[in-house]
Amino acid sequence: MHSVLIVDDSDINLTLIKALVLKLGDCSPILFDNPLSALEWCRENVPDLVIVDYMMPDMDGLRFISAFRALHGRDEIPVLMITANDQKDVRYDALLGGANDFLTKPIDRIEFSARARNMLSLRTGQKFLADRAAHLSALVEARTAEIREREKELIFRISRAAEFRDPETGAHIQRMAHYSQIIAQGLDLSPSTQKLILEAAPMHDVGKIGIPDYILLKPGKLTPEEFEVMKGHARIGHELLKNSRSEIMQAGAEVAISHHEKYDGSGYPFGLKGKHIPLFGRIVAVADVFDALTSERPYKRAWPLDDACKFLEDGRGKHFDPLCIEAFLAGWEQVLEIRQRFRDEEIPQI
Amino acid sequence: MAKAFILDRGSILERLGGDEEIYSMMVDMFLQDVNNNCAAIASAFAAGDSQTLQREAHTIKGLLATFSDDVGAADAMLVERQAKNGEIDGLADAVAGLQLRLREVAAVLSAG
Repeated sequence: MHSVLIVDDSDINLTLIKALVLKLGDCSPILFDNPLSALEWCRENVPDLVIVDYMMPDMDGLRFISAFRALHGRDEIPVLMITANDQKDVRYDALLGGANDFLTKPIDRIEFSARARNMLSLRTGQKFLADRAAHLSALVEARTAEIREREKELIFRISRAAEFRDPETGAHIQRMAHYSQIIAQGLDLSPSTQKLILEAAPMHDVGKIGIPDYILLKPGKLTPEEFEVMKGHARIGHELLKNSRSEIMQAGAEVAISHHEKYDGSGYPFGLKGKHIPLFGRIVAVADVFDALTSERPYKRAWPLDDACKFLEDGRGKHFDPLCIEAFLAGWEQVLEIRQRFRDEEIPQI
Repeated sequence: MAKAFILDRGSILERLGGDEEIYSMMVDMFLQDVNNNCAAIASAFAAGDSQTLQREAHTIKGLLATFSDDVGAADAMLVERQAKNGEIDGLADAVAGLQLRLREVAAVLSAG
C-alpha cells in the first residue's frame, strides 16, 4: 500500500485528488489543507508520493518542497507539484527546488493517473533497491559474524591444543587474555583494538606445540641448553601464525614472537628494548606473568596477590613497560573479577 | 462578464476520466463553498490585502477552470496578476464580477 501525501489549501482540490488517488488502487491518501501541519507529519512519517499545490497561505509549494527535502531521508521521495498552466516560471523554480514532475490545473484524470503511477513506480524501485541493499548488508554482517565466531573458536582450540601439552590450563588462557584487554583499555586503545588483543592473546604460547615433551614437561629446572630450546616456542608460534590474512592471526603472530621480550632489552628472542617491542607483546608480557605467578602449578604454589603486584612493580621499566603496569593496576577491580570468573577448576575440558 | 457560462459536462467528465461519481462530488463541493469563496475575495479586496486577494483569485481561477469555465478563469487570472503586482485600486468591478460569475456557475451546476 502506497501512502500518498496530498497538500492543498483548497478543500475541493483535496477531495478531487483524494478521489483520483483512490482510483489508482493500492494507495492510501493522507490529506492536509495546511502545509506546516503536513511538514510536521512528514517529520515522523515517510510518504511514497507527495502531491503539493503551489499557491497556499503560510507556505507556498516551493518552500514546502525545499523544507521537505531538507528532512533526513526525504531527498528521493517523488514530489508532484500542482500549478496553473500560466505559471511556467514557477514550474522552473520547482524543478530546481526538487519537484519531480507537475500536474496542471484543472486536473485531468488521465494525466494525473499516468504521472502519479510513474512516480509510484519510481518509489517502488527505490524501496526495492533499499530493501535489497539492507537485506544484503544484514546477510553479509551475519555471515561475517559467523566466520569471526568460527575463527575465534578455532583460535581457542589451537591455543588449548598447545596448553594440553603444558601444565597451564584453559583458564590461564582466558584470564591472561582478559587481563590483556584490561591493560589495553587502561592505555586508552580503541574498543576494536581491545577486542583484538582479547582474541589474539590466547595464542601467545601456541609455539609450545613444537617443544619436545622432555623439556616442556620437565618437572625440574631446565639446563641452559634446554632453556634455549624452550625459548624457541616464541619463533615457532610466530611461524605458525604469520602471513595470515586474518587480523587476529596477525596479532597472534606478533604476540607469540614478542611476549617474552623485556623492556630493558634482556628478553628473547630478539632482545628488543622499550617501545621497539610491539605494544601487544608488552601488554601480554604483564598479563601472562601476573597470571603465571598467581596460579598454582604442579611445581609451585600460587603467589599471594600482593607479592605478585610487588613483582610487577619491581619489574617496571626492567621487565615490563611502566605504562602497561600502570594500566594493569588501574584496572585492579576488573582483574579480581576476572580471577573469580575464570577459576582453573571451572573450565570445561574440550 | 460578457459571455454567459454554458455547462460543458462532456469536457469536464472527460477530464475526470468519465467518472460521474467524482463529478457529482465536485459539483456538491463547489455549491457548498461558493458563498465562502465570494465572501473571502470580497473581504480581501475590502481590506486592501493584495496578497490574500491574489490567493483568493487564484483559488477561484482553479475552481472555474475545473468546470471548464475558461472565460471566468481568465478573468480570475487578471485579478490574480494585478493583485500580485499590488495594483488593486481599480479591481472593484472585476472582484464583483468574479463573485457574480461564481454564483452564475453555481446556478447552472445546480440546474444541470
